[in-house]
Amino acid sequence: MKKYLTRMGDGSRVEMTKEELLRDFELGSKDAAGRGKIPELTSEDYDKLLEIFTSPFRIVAVEPGNEIVMTDDAGQMRLNTDQMNSGISIMIDPTVSNMVHERCFCCDTVTLGHVDYSFKPIKPIVSTYQVMYETMSQNLIAPVFFGAMPNLGTYYYPDGPCGNPSDLFQAGKLDEARKAQEDAMEFAIKDGTFIAEKLDEIGCDGFNLDTVGAAGDADVLASLRTVEYIKKNTKLSVEVGMAGEFILGMHGGLEYKGTRLAGLYPHQQVKLFEEAGCDIFGPVVNTNSGKSMPWNIARAVTFIKACSEAANIPIHPNVGMGVGGVPVCEVPPIDCVTRASKAIAEIAKADGL
Amino acid sequence: MNKEELFKQAAQSVVDANRDAAVKLAEKAIAEGVDPMDMINGGFSAGMSTCGEMFDRGEMFLPELIVASDAMVAAINVLEQALPVDQVKEKIGIAIIGSIEGDVHDIGKGIVATMLRVYGFEVHDLGRDVPIKTFVEKVREINANIVGSSALMTTTQVGQKALEDALKAAGLRDKVKTMVGGAVVTQRWANKIGSDLYAENANDAVKKLKELLI
Repeated sequence: MKKYLTRMGDGSRVEMTKEELLRDFELGSKDAAGRGKIPELTSEDYDKLLEIFTSPFRIVAVEPGNEIVMTDDAGQMRLNTDQMNSGISIMIDPTVSNMVHERCFCCDTVTLGHVDYSFKPIKPIVSTYQVMYETMSQNLIAPVFFGAMPNLGTYYYPDGPCGNPSDLFQAGKLDEARKAQEDAMEFAIKDGTFIAEKLDEIGCDGFNLDTVGAAGDADVLASLRTVEYIKKNTKLSVEVGMAGEFILGMHGGLEYKGTRLAGLYPHQQVKLFEEAGCDIFGPVVNTNSGKSMPWNIARAVTFIKACSEAANIPIHPNVGMGVGGVPVCEVPPIDCVTRASKAIAEIAKADGL
Repeated sequence: MNKEELFKQAAQSVVDANRDAAVKLAEKAIAEGVDPMDMINGGFSAGMSTCGEMFDRGEMFLPELIVASDAMVAAINVLEQALPVDQVKEKIGIAIIGSIEGDVHDIGKGIVATMLRVYGFEVHDLGRDVPIKTFVEKVREINANIVGSSALMTTTQVGQKALEDALKAAGLRDKVKTMVGGAVVTQRWANKIGSDLYAENANDAVKKLKELLI
């Protein structure tokens, strides 16, 4: 029986028959449907996935007319940082790096950002990025988004003034752990809105709140309130990229406009960010390194299809190492990256990546 | 109330994090002559397993899990008084856990530490950016039998291999089970460095450690 080369979620090579591919598509889709309480993929979707996975070519691409927007996510730093930041150490300045992204890599937006990427360390040095933006804006046509993450972790002990919820939970101090998250949230909103105002002053095109929810539901609420403020008080466009597929309930009791945040999946998250005024939403679906890529990609497509159907704003899913059906390995294999991208564009109907 | 119904209600009391109900059900089990160990395993522990699955699916969260665990512990304390001394459960294991040297990410590691504690492990959380020698010294100091390390980045995960080597060099490797996890860590990596266990998430860590040790 003919076998097709694919991968496991850790990037290792594996060969599967058509029947095995189909079985894993169904299992992956069922897993997403069960967790998110969303519909499984249809038989047409499975046929399309089969066509993508049985293509004899290492690289697959969308059909003409199905091309989608490429939103950059800190790509500029992938060139000019070293391996410690998953970069490739080409020593060029951020403006030139962005020109390469615009003119060679066909990115439709580019990023300006501090290498730490968190709100807190950026605040005191935001003027550096005001100057950088000025230079960039003279050399680029693509919109420049300032990328940064709320990263509530930077406000917890020992890095910041709030108690560390991890330690407090382990000590059984639930109320204190929740209070620490609420306090950290206020610091993040203050810092994020300050940075946004400074970028707006110099005419920056947009703000990309990235890795939202990395510290749980308080991190998400801080982001929602930051988005609200930015949309109300500045001219910046706002893109939001998530950290994981469901919102971790580190606090558990936080709500946004009557909706409890903990446990929400992409199709529910997008509605809240829409309400806050977000312009582009970047859902995340995590890759399970112990499952096959057919399983992971079908699962990612199921979640993102539901998100796409629920959304009234463009969605640009995260497709990269460990997310969007791409394996967890340092250099994601191109066969997987292109298959995940094509499936998410053509089956899940994403607006961009 | 028959035994099955009692088990069902015990499990539900844990899922509902209802400490009073859990304690009353434990007392009822003793009064009705139900084997306390059966009541723990078939009722309260089963409820805690359900909590783990709900946590994994984003239907239950850390604070709720801790309160559910309190309900279970309160019930078990009642049942243990009725157990013969040789049947009283000892802790499942003594675990050391920390984010590996150079890695300051500790949210995921903190969730794993809390989950292990909730499920009856004695946990010593060494925090983040933990030097390899600190792991080794702590194993010796508290006679731990589990060493868990977390790495969020490919650049720090190499520390997990250094930890394996350091435990071997100290003559401690055979006395402990090592467990690795973190965003970039995979089963393939665990196999490569000779770690005993890879956990995809906190619930997976509890499940696999229990399988390994019980």
